[in-house]
This record gives sequence, structure tokens and C-alpha cells, in this order.
Amino acid sequence: MKAWVDADKCQGHTLCAMAAGEFFTLSDEDGHATARSHDVPSELEAKVRLAAGGCPEQAIVIEA
Amino acid sequence: MTDTVPNRAEVHFDRHTPEYRVQFEAITTELQQKCPVAWTETYGGHWVISDHQSVFELARDPHLLSSDHDPHNERKGYLGISIPAISPTQGGILEMDPPDQKDYRSLMNPYLSPAAVARWAPMVEDITRACLDETIESGSIDFVDDLANIVPAIMTMALMGLPLADWVIYCEPAHAAIYTAPDSPDVPRVMEAYFAMAIKLQEELENARQRPRPGLVHALVNAKIAGETPTDEFLGGMLGLLIGGGFDTTTSLTAKSLDWLSNNPGERARLAADLPGLINSATEEFLRFFTPAPGDGRTVTTDCVYAGQQLKEGDRLWLSWAMANRDPEVFPDPNTIHLDRTNNRHSAFGLGVHRCIGSNVARSIYKTMLTQVLDRMPDFVCDSESAVHYDTVGVINGMKHLTATFTPGKRLGDNLADTIAKWQHKCDTEGLAEPIARSEG
Ligand code: SF4
Repeated sequence: MKAWVDADKCQGHTLCAMAAGEFFTLSDEDGHATARSHDVPSELEAKVRLAAGGCPEQAIVIEA
Repeated sequence: MTDTVPNRAEVHFDRHTPEYRVQFEAITTELQQKCPVAWTETYGGHWVISDHQSVFELARDPHLLSSDHDPHNERKGYLGISIPAISPTQGGILEMDPPDQKDYRSLMNPYLSPAAVARWAPMVEDITRACLDETIESGSIDFVDDLANIVPAIMTMALMGLPLADWVIYCEPAHAAIYTAPDSPDVPRVMEAYFAMAIKLQEELENARQRPRPGLVHALVNAKIAGETPTDEFLGGMLGLLIGGGFDTTTSLTAKSLDWLSNNPGERARLAADLPGLINSATEEFLRFFTPAPGDGRTVTTDCVYAGQQLKEGDRLWLSWAMANRDPEVFPDPNTIHLDRTNNRHSAFGLGVHRCIGSNVARSIYKTMLTQVLDRMPDFVCDSESAVHYDTVGVINGMKHLTATFTPGKRLGDNLADTIAKWQHKCDTEGLAEPIARSEG
């Protein structure tokens, strides 16, 4: 599974880091998110899916 | 006026009435089922958008919808985000469109990002502790007056770089300006107090120029956006926005959720028993359910057809975050609070480029207050009968008073005045309100 944050859509709600802080980091400056890597470690897949479902801007893209 | 739209969906919708507050769930369901994009004649006529899908799409299209408030008719004369438009001045960046709006956000983000806000945690904890100390021995508290009005207000002062003890000057005008209905006989008095506050803020602009100290006010008076320094009129509106956003919203969330927890002791016990596991999802669920800032107005910039309705340039439009947050398509069982709700992509902080810039501050203060209340007043019982809700929820879904009783406890530290003085000293000597440094790499 691959996942990333669409920077054009992300508005820095920070919920993804609450749901899957192991995978998403927030910029110190504006709180916008980026994925730590392109590939989602298998043990984090469920958390990353939850983060994607909870993103208010639907900015997290998941590719199976 | 001759080209009437034949199939325009029309409703009667007035969010400034007490009925709207009391019948919110029934009205929401009816609108969402019958006409989620509807025209209403109230307040000069405007669209009201109530389903999540439409609110989500429209809020994230700043080209189709403008937030601009242009009281001097320098651009298109649009009326901004309040319906009805009451303020004679532009309400800071919430009533501004990109690209300038984005530049102002970039300027302010380093004061309000999660990392910037985390630096303030010790102060927020200490002020919260002091507020609870003031009442802990008595066994009774007004959660609004004694806690939820104070902590967010002091934190807002701190972020702005204003004297912390001055929170009292702004508190009553800031709240009254929100909860007084546009047709209330109290409006002149409230407006007068609000203008006195505006004058005080203009003095602070001057202070920030003469005697710079770190914080948002300093950043704003020195801003250069599109090559220009902002006018004092704009800055006044911007500071008013920071105070309005900082003071009233977290207060509302705190009061509403503590009242709910008091009335749902089983859920409260569950939350208290697993606070680390539930506090994030519970906070988001309270945000969704109570939506302290229930919506924002916009102006349509181009003729277009949306959801089968003909929108025209210049039409006013209300995006209801509160109603979108009760849409069963996105939130199963929407009118029930589920403390562990997942996929909770609520719009309580708005959506799109105007997402509440203080959301990280709000969450941090709220969680601190909730944690300490559950810890130090675990058996609190709110007197919900005597609680005073805002008469109308047109602007903020808030409460004026919420008294509670609990088993008295012991003080843990200094009183509130001394605690404020201690943190003022730290602000002055340690530069706490500096923007966060750009991270490397
Ligand atoms: S939850 Fe969505 S909008 Fe918020 S920071 Fe994460 S990706 Fe960005």
C-alpha cells in the first residue's frame, strides 16, 4: 500500500498525525502534513486508512 | 430582477431565532432531505447550504465563492462572511480572498502551528490550574466565568503579545458582541463596548510600533503584503478577529461538552477511565456535535448552476458547518455523540483555505481544561436547569453561564493574579511569543 498527502488540498487540520503519527509528520511552521515515506509499512495500514477517512479535506491519497 | 429561476428551491430559514437553536436537529434533517442547496428570503435573501457534500465542495472553491468584505467599494463591494453583514469594517483575513489572504496566513502560521502552540503548554496548564484553584475549596464553579472564559482569553493575549492581565478588558465586549442578536434592544450598548475595545486595540497597534514586543500584533503591524503595509483599519479588524476567534469559541466547546458529560455520567466515567485513549476522538466528536462556530457566509463570484440551482454573481450564501456535521451520509447516527467516532471528518474549523488558523490553540487549551476538570473535580454535577445558553446560535453556539458543584479539594499553587504575573514576566524576559523557527531540512 502507498499513501501520500496532496499538498494542494491539505489545510493543516493535523488529524492525520493524531490518527497515524508514525506515518504523517506535520510541518513546524504551518502544521501541513507530509508522509514519512511513500510505502506504508504493513503494520500501519489500518491506521493510515483511518487517517485518510478522517481527513476533513480528503487530502490523503491511498493506492493499494 | 425579471429573470426568475423557475425551479429555485425556496425555504424559510432564519438561524438568528431561538427556534433554530431549539429545533436545530429537525430543521437540519428537513433541509438536508428536501433541499440541501436552498434559497431563503431572510436577511436580504441568501442561499443556505446544509449537506456535507455541498458544503465540502463549495467551501474548497475560493474562486467560485468570495469571502471578501469591501466596505469602501474598492473591489466589488462584497459583504464578507456575516449574514446579515453588521460590521462596518473588514474582519481581517477571514473576509479576504487569496492570494493576499494566503500571505497573511504564512505570516501568522509560525505563531499558531502545532509546534508553536506546544511551546505554550506549561503556561496553559498553569493558568488552568490557577483557575481551578480559585474555586476548588468552595465546591462550586461557573465553568464559563471561572474557567472557560479565562484560559482561552489569556492564551490569546499571550499569542498576540498583549499584556496578559488585559484579558478582562476584552472579555465582556468580545462575548457580548457574539451572543447579542442583531435585533436585540441591547445592541447599542454592546456596540459601544465593542467600539471602546476597538479603540484600545488601536492603541495597542501604536504600542507595538513604539515598543516592539514579540507576538502576532508585532508581526501584523510590520507586515508587507503585496508590497504594502496594512492600514490601521484593516489591522483593527484583524485584531478583532483574533480576539473573537480566540475568546468565544473554545469557551463554547468547553461549556457545552462539560454540560453533556455531567448529563451522561456513564460516558464521562468511560472517558475518565481511558483519557489518553479517548481524548482525541472525544474532542473531535464534541467539535463535530457542538460546532461552536456554526457557519460562514460567502458571496458568489460567477453565475453557475450548482446542485440544480442557478447561482448568480453577487448572491449571498451561507455554508453551515453545523448542519454539514450532522449529515448522516458522512456521520452515521449523526445526532448522537460517540466518543470513539472514527472517520470524523467534521468541518467545525471550516474547510478550505480559511480553515481556523487557531485550531491547534483551541485543541490544546480545550484538552488541558477537560483533563484537569476530570482530574480535580471528577464528580462535578452541572446545574443544567439554570445554565444560560446563548439565546440564538446564529454566530456562536455558546453558553453564558454553567454552574456546577463538586466535592471540594485542595489548592495546588498560586492564585490566578500571581500566576498571570509570573507568566507575564516569562513572556517579557524569555520571548515566549516569538514565531517558531523554520525547521531545517
Ligand atoms: S488531516 Fe488532512 S488536511 Fe489535515 S494535516 Fe492531515 S492531510 Fe492535511
